[in-house]
Amino acid sequence: MINLTINNTKVSVTEGTSVLKAAEKLGIEIPTMCFLEGLTNHPSCMLCLVKDKKNGNLQPSCALPASEGMEIITDDNEIHHARKEALELLLSDHVGDCEAPCRPSCPANMNIPLMNRLIAEGRFHEALKVVKEEIALPLILGYICPAPCEKACRRTQVDEAVSICSLKKNVAIDDIENEIQYLPEKEPASGKNVAIIGTGPAGLSCAYYLLLHGHNCVLFDKNNEAGGTLRYDIPDDKLPKSALDAEIEIIKKYGAEFKLNTDITKEKFNSEILLDFDAVVLAMGNFDDSNLSSFGFESTDHGLQINRNTFEVNDTGIFACGNIIRSRRMAVTSVAQGKAAAYSVHQYLNGIAPERKKRMFNSKFGKLFEEEIPEYKKETIPDARINLPVGKLDNFSKEQAITEASRCMHCDCRKPTTCKLRIFADEYEADRKKFLFGERKKIKKYFQHDIIVYEPEKCIRCNMCVEITAKEKDTVGFSSIGRGFIVEINMPLNRSIKELLNATAIKCAEECPTGAISLK
Amino acid sequence: MNEVIDKIISEKGTAVEAVIPILQAIQMEYNYLPADAMQRVCELTDISLARIYGISTFYSQFRHQPVGKHIIKVCVGTACHVKGAMRVYDAFKRELKLDENDDTDKDGLFTIDKVACLGCCTIAPVVQIDDSTFGHVEPSKVSEILYEFLNSDKDSSSTSSGLTSNIKGIDGEIRIGLGSCCIASGSSDVKAELEKSLKANNTKVDVKQVGCVGICNQVPLLEIHKNGESPYYYTKIKSTEVNEIIRKHFRSRNPFTRLRTDISGIIDNYIINGIPKSVKKYSSESVDTPVAEFLKGQINIATEHRGAIKPDDLDEYKKLGGFEALQNCLNSNPNEIINTIKQSGLRGRGGGGFPSGQKWELVKNTNSDQKYVICNGDEGDPGAFMDRMLLESYPFRVIEGLIIAAYTVGANTGLFYIRAEYPLAVKRIKEALYYCEKANILGDNIMNSDFSFSLNIFEGAGAFICGEETALIASVEGNRGLPKMRPPYPAVSGLWGKPTLINNTETFSLVPWIIRKGANAFADIGTKNSKGTKVFALAGKINRGGLIEVPIGITIRKIVEEIGGGIPNGKAFKAVQIGGPSGGCIPATMSETPIDFESLSEVGAMMGSGGLVVLDEDDCMVDIARYFLEFTQDQSCGKCTFCRIGTRRMLEILEKICRGDGKLEDIETLEKLAASTKKGSLCGLGKTAPNPVISTLKYFRHEYLEHINGKCPTGKCKELIEYFIVDECIGCTKCAQDCPTDAIEFKPYEIHIVNNDLCIKCDICRQVCPVNAVIIK
Repeated sequence: MINLTINNTKVSVTEGTSVLKAAEKLGIEIPTMCFLEGLTNHPSCMLCLVKDKKNGNLQPSCALPASEGMEIITDDNEIHHARKEALELLLSDHVGDCEAPCRPSCPANMNIPLMNRLIAEGRFHEALKVVKEEIALPLILGYICPAPCEKACRRTQVDEAVSICSLKKNVAIDDIENEIQYLPEKEPASGKNVAIIGTGPAGLSCAYYLLLHGHNCVLFDKNNEAGGTLRYDIPDDKLPKSALDAEIEIIKKYGAEFKLNTDITKEKFNSEILLDFDAVVLAMGNFDDSNLSSFGFESTDHGLQINRNTFEVNDTGIFACGNIIRSRRMAVTSVAQGKAAAYSVHQYLNGIAPERKKRMFNSKFGKLFEEEIPEYKKETIPDARINLPVGKLDNFSKEQAITEASRCMHCDCRKPTTCKLRIFADEYEADRKKFLFGERKKIKKYFQHDIIVYEPEKCIRCNMCVEITAKEKDTVGFSSIGRGFIVEINMPLNRSIKELLNATAIKCAEECPTGAISLK
Repeated sequence: MNEVIDKIISEKGTAVEAVIPILQAIQMEYNYLPADAMQRVCELTDISLARIYGISTFYSQFRHQPVGKHIIKVCVGTACHVKGAMRVYDAFKRELKLDENDDTDKDGLFTIDKVACLGCCTIAPVVQIDDSTFGHVEPSKVSEILYEFLNSDKDSSSTSSGLTSNIKGIDGEIRIGLGSCCIASGSSDVKAELEKSLKANNTKVDVKQVGCVGICNQVPLLEIHKNGESPYYYTKIKSTEVNEIIRKHFRSRNPFTRLRTDISGIIDNYIINGIPKSVKKYSSESVDTPVAEFLKGQINIATEHRGAIKPDDLDEYKKLGGFEALQNCLNSNPNEIINTIKQSGLRGRGGGGFPSGQKWELVKNTNSDQKYVICNGDEGDPGAFMDRMLLESYPFRVIEGLIIAAYTVGANTGLFYIRAEYPLAVKRIKEALYYCEKANILGDNIMNSDFSFSLNIFEGAGAFICGEETALIASVEGNRGLPKMRPPYPAVSGLWGKPTLINNTETFSLVPWIIRKGANAFADIGTKNSKGTKVFALAGKINRGGLIEVPIGITIRKIVEEIGGGIPNGKAFKAVQIGGPSGGCIPATMSETPIDFESLSEVGAMMGSGGLVVLDEDDCMVDIARYFLEFTQDQSCGKCTFCRIGTRRMLEILEKICRGDGKLEDIETLEKLAASTKKGSLCGLGKTAPNPVISTLKYFRHEYLEHINGKCPTGKCKELIEYFIVDECIGCTKCAQDCPTDAIEFKPYEIHIVNNDLCIKCDICRQVCPVNAVIIK
């Protein structure tokens, strides 16, 4: 047995054990991307660097054999920095999007490509579920959203954007036309009561997600009908009142209580609201129009002063969202804020200091080169955008919706939650732009295989697939081609990926640490 | 085709490790690797398609596209680089009308290629077309060279059997060096002419073909040893001058010939170039000649009998004490030999400087049924040619050292790993092995002892990383040359998992001398921690470049000023680059630094294998750093993140700075990235790759800053300079005639003007101007 210490804890292992495995024995997890039991594990990613305390050298723990008397540190500032830099170098050479460009451009961060794919498969109900994860009022937004997502859509480089906004409306209509509308299962009831003042897009959205989190909601509005600006500022020929009523009805059905014709004065706020509710969300629209000035809250040039990350007005359970904090033109922003405020309220009610829901690390490369357009067209249909005669007031037929959704080019990664590069980049807060000054490589996509898709520009050259295919003697196998910076993993002698691998296809896709090899 | 491939496989075998020799044989046949041929190999052997393609694309020797009839290799090694190799490369591309991505001309006559280093640094810039090497190539001479090549009589260089040493009544001996540099400088022609001339004059003289003479930039060099006289040296001679030299020293035995030759002119131009003294020849007794100066201060151990010994003459080597050491060792206990090596203080000459005795002991003490000894001759540093010279000129010495090592550690199999760019070295070693086998110096029960040893050659296929011992082993085993984590060290688990001793060529070549003269004789030379001599390849901006062997601890100044004779053309000495891509630049102000392992590391350079490139005031230090990073990012095996991407990003920053687009914060990013690449890379290549950047940033930071302010102080960086013609112009139109882009208008008798919008900075105008009227701003 070999005795060593890892992070000052003694451990004994058999000869030939790597430091990585020795650490595992102590329950110490060291990040790796290119390690797989049973392969030669020739170090590549360098994420598993650890420090030899005796000489200060950093060495990859996956290939470092434990030796007698060794003293290893698995994490300190220097190691952390080196790992982060390794990730940043890899990211500088990783051409691929974690999220399709449309998604981050949506203020509500809706998973657009997934919705598109479900629609394309005719699975409208599942598509609606995806939409409602991020957007409480898809029908309303389907009429009035200026659709920044469509401006970001990559399809604009081919012809015209996918009609994302209308597709979203279509799935909402599909839901409303059903006998029973989709109401997601609520989290266990908390018994907490939240007052939401104002029933515009922010208030309604906030209510929906608070209900989802298991809290009771009472919405107050000075008007005799709910909807705020949606009802009183937007003309009928833009947003039919029926659509507004339909979605308010869903929120009511979900459990929200509406107290209309109720003007919240300073006295009422202090004597009733603050006493009767565990938290309050101020969502009564433009600050100037509200009578909040007298409440004594701090304000800025453009609205009520809040903590921009958590939407807290102060730390006593008062939150604010929507136009009251800053007047914006887009309802989708208010809807997004309502959702974010609900999340903060939820944390507050659980006794946790609110924190903004962090969006996961996102690798992105921007516009396509001309020669990349054909690569992206491989995964879509050539049809032109279906432009409806009366624009947003009109709806697609089911067939039209399927065709339109099939125009989506699947810009998002196939492994958004399992890609190790993304997971660690997120964990180490890597800056993807730090070393981004070379000419970026051009994207190629290989679809010929029945099971997998290969996107070499996402590869980190760990060589695991080369070894897996060689070890299992799979037909031809991946080859490591060239050397130096330009080394690539690809098909030998320009063989088709179809002949390349057979038995190991699934294993390669599963073990590939990035989205380079993924299941179709 | 199948028959050809089948034959190759029947010769090389079907095992996985045969892949590189098989590919080399295929390429020898077709000049490239046809896809069908590779396919056929996979069908007949255990080699998979994925593997064969991985190998063939890893090593730069292999080509996958058909090539032209002739291959032009432009050397872009360090010495060639500082002397304008890229301009030569561009000039060839222009001359052959090649587009940016083309490498073969329309007619399929020529294919052009850049090579890391041909090891002919002293005659830089060097170009090789097929087997012909051209030195001192200038962009303006490119068309001439191609013409000369196509019209040269190929048979003239073939060995003409004129004279043998058995002729009776010999008047003396003429020695001519036939190392690669010598041949490149025309020694073969000189030799042919010499033989012709001797025959014509009926002169009885022994012509002796010796190995590298060391003083490479004075070649072709003739040494005339006349009976009863001290020798004379003739340097840089042309074949046309040979006849007169012969006539001068040796009276023709034929009176008619004597009469006829007496009429022709006087010899007047075989003087050492750049040396002002107008002597016509140098006697070895006069001490102030360039030849004597060059040789002074050197100690010949690895290069013992330099310029006197015939590389392929086993008898001569034996007469001079060769294989005495081996004989001695075969009668001694291996532990005694290890003690001698330890006492001598010998450290590995490949760069790392690990104590050799200790390494030998480690291999000896590791129990195994099979052990190997490998001579590392994969000299990949651009700007280094020590191993090549030693292998070409003293093959028996290296072999002797290797056999001693093998006997000591108990290995019965050995290997010469020699890079493919050194065909002459491979040939000489091959011949030497043959002679040794015949003489029972190799094989079973060598020299009638109990010890048996077989020795083979493995030709590297072009990968700098294979100089790293674990990568070298990987390539012998038929893999891509990827270095492994150490430990385990090859001494414990090396080739095929067996204990393997790997030493550098020079290390082995020092061993026989140490055994013969004793450990103390060696330890008396050198410094406290670095004993003995070191062979350096002195090249770059130096009057007398060449292969030198000096005592360790000698200062940089002594090498540059005394041995090398200073900087040519009155330029100022700026720095030396020691250690190639792993080394650093030491400024002239630190020229009192002694050259030993520790001192060099302290100042941020590295002994490396011994490349020593001298830089003068015209050399841009940012460009030098860029040059080396361009090399390493291509030569990296491409496995670990820091080396693969880190070196590339450093290169990109340096390119940006050289273009004049750099910002102050780029220097900071560069510095940090250099530090993390040093820290985080897996093997020595990556860990030392940032050294050229770190050392130039340390000593020449101001040059980086000047580039950031939009100025290249030396006028090297193309994007930051413009060409101008000043009033001295005499209107000779030469520049206009030679300008490849018509950037200079043809104006006889007028002052010419460079149109900088059209100018591609090829520098030809400046080179052809007879009155130095073209300047760079």
